[in-house]
Amino acid sequence: MESINQASLPNRIIRMIVILSGVLLFVYGLLPVVTSQVPILAQMHSYLDQNGIDPSRYYYTDVEQVAEGEHYLEIALDR
Amino acid sequence: MEENNGNVVVDQAKSRWSDLWTKEDYLAIWLGFLVVALCLFAYLVLGPKAEFAQKIEEAKQIQATEEAKAPFKTIAWYNAEDASTFKASKSSGFGKFLSHWTKKPGSWKSSPMDSFIQTEEQAKAKNEKAMPAYEEAKAKAAAALEAATVAESAAAAAAFKNQTLNDTAKDTIAAWRSAKNKASKAKAKTTNKPYNYIITLVGLCIFLIIFFGFGMRMMGASVGGFAVGFIVVFLFSVLAYMLGGQATAKQYGVGAEAWAIVLGMILANTVGTPRWVLPACQVEFFIKTGLVLLGAEVLFSKIMAIGIPGIFVAWVVTPVVLVSTYIFGQKVIKMPSKTLNITISADMSVCGTSAAIATAAACRAKKEELTLSIGLSLVFTSIMMIVMPAIIKGVGMPEILGGAWMGGTIDSTGAVAAAGAFLGDKALHVAATIKMIQNVMIGVTAFCVALYWCTVVECVGENRRTVGAIEIWNRFPKFVLGFLAVSILFSYIDSQLGHKMSHALLDQGAIRGGTRLLRGWFFTLSFAAIGLSTNFRELSKYFKGGKPLILYACGQSLNLVLTLTMAYIMFYLVFPEITANI
Repeated sequence: MESINQASLPNRIIRMIVILSGVLLFVYGLLPVVTSQVPILAQMHSYLDQNGIDPSRYYYTDVEQVAEGEHYLEIALDR
Repeated sequence: MEENNGNVVVDQAKSRWSDLWTKEDYLAIWLGFLVVALCLFAYLVLGPKAEFAQKIEEAKQIQATEEAKAPFKTIAWYNAEDASTFKASKSSGFGKFLSHWTKKPGSWKSSPMDSFIQTEEQAKAKNEKAMPAYEEAKAKAAAALEAATVAESAAAAAAFKNQTLNDTAKDTIAAWRSAKNKASKAKAKTTNKPYNYIITLVGLCIFLIIFFGFGMRMMGASVGGFAVGFIVVFLFSVLAYMLGGQATAKQYGVGAEAWAIVLGMILANTVGTPRWVLPACQVEFFIKTGLVLLGAEVLFSKIMAIGIPGIFVAWVVTPVVLVSTYIFGQKVIKMPSKTLNITISADMSVCGTSAAIATAAACRAKKEELTLSIGLSLVFTSIMMIVMPAIIKGVGMPEILGGAWMGGTIDSTGAVAAAGAFLGDKALHVAATIKMIQNVMIGVTAFCVALYWCTVVECVGENRRTVGAIEIWNRFPKFVLGFLAVSILFSYIDSQLGHKMSHALLDQGAIRGGTRLLRGWFFTLSFAAIGLSTNFRELSKYFKGGKPLILYACGQSLNLVLTLTMAYIMFYLVFPEITANI
């Protein structure tokens, strides 16, 4: 991080604000617009919202639908 | 006492008794065990076991009577099932206490402050908004119940001897179950309550400083220095949870973990992480303690959730893809870093982020390698969870086959559920269950990788030689043993409690209402610490030539082909009766 540290503090702060703004704008500005404009994405957004599914969760215990699926299969397969 | 062997740093220090209370690996185990013991005591000893046991027994008797009466599961059978399904975390004081004090900033749509504070008026407005949908769902469930009752009565009038009437009753009861489930979800949206997480977050931060500060003290570090820096790491984790709680961002899999790395990296690579924060960037300590807790969620009974087809899709294809991708990376692409190679291979073939964390820790991969693996996984996951259901629908693939395919290939469980739900209920159930079976594999993966690394990988090069048992022990990452010990303990308790009781006290008690709550925080803290201590230039070196991307893409292609083939063979050629019952 030598080159970063060589820049003056105001420059580094400006750089941070620009990058952070860019990232936030992409996620909270561009993505919602794209989502609302592309039908399949809009449909998916609405479906996930209605059913309370969070695709960002990575382990099975964090996802309620896994327990529901397990329970359904347990009954369907008589386990 | 360290020997730099190519790109692998091997700790060859001899084991000492003092390691037990001074080394990070052991301290992660003890701290993890402390949480595990507390949760087990609170739920298994102090929990409402006797009350649950009595109700489960009553329900069993009703179900046995109903099973003897009808050749299908009757309405009374399902009512008994519902009456005997408990969640200890919701009914015990400990569960409520822990859930309250480990709260993460919640979901929001337009204002980030909604993730911290919800006023009485806001909660009331949300409930009122959700009420019409609930009323509609409730009416549909009531109508479905009426239809199911009529159909069951007709089947009963024919003494359950008329196959057509039996089939009609079975179908209408299934429709009622589905409507009831929807009504239950709609009802949950009408029960919003006011909250203010700021106080609980301050309390949690103090608790975590004491918890990890104890470990730091034992390791000989300054607790004061750690505490001051930890406040920043914690703050970044809180901000990450807040940003990751936005509804649209979540849809693409951009959750708290991704935000924790991104926010940390932005600060570290622009203004620079203040030196006084670095003592709190204990990436490995947080990860290892989190992994010991994750062991509680690795229950081996889950493997049989969908029978033999599930084992073949999740436990046969996965290791084949993992090993093939690793060999491909070494022999064909010639990945310079073996640790990056195995971390990407495990991340892609097993279960995304959680597998990447466990594997990276087991082979002592660098934090930049873990970051890169998770980044690749996030990008591919967000593409696959949208493209795969579209392709499956487009080619008219059966729902169950599509579900099994997605469950075995899409990395993160949440994304699997999202993609499965888009196809249909059955696809969701199969996809989520296959993924769960695959999730359980991370214990075996972490152990095998750790063993392979300390017996084979760390012996190549100039120092090629046979290593003895003592040296293997010295090199072996001990926290993996803690992780496996917790997994074996919970799997044993699970097998002894019986299915219903285990679900109530272990799955919905000690795990979901205990260890999981802290594990989530520990991993997010580690990601924030990774971001705060990562140099972007270092990270970009690992991406040179696009080799990680090629490895991921080739490995995932193999995964897609093998999983689809295996799912078709198992669900449609070898076990069609299982598919028919789903």
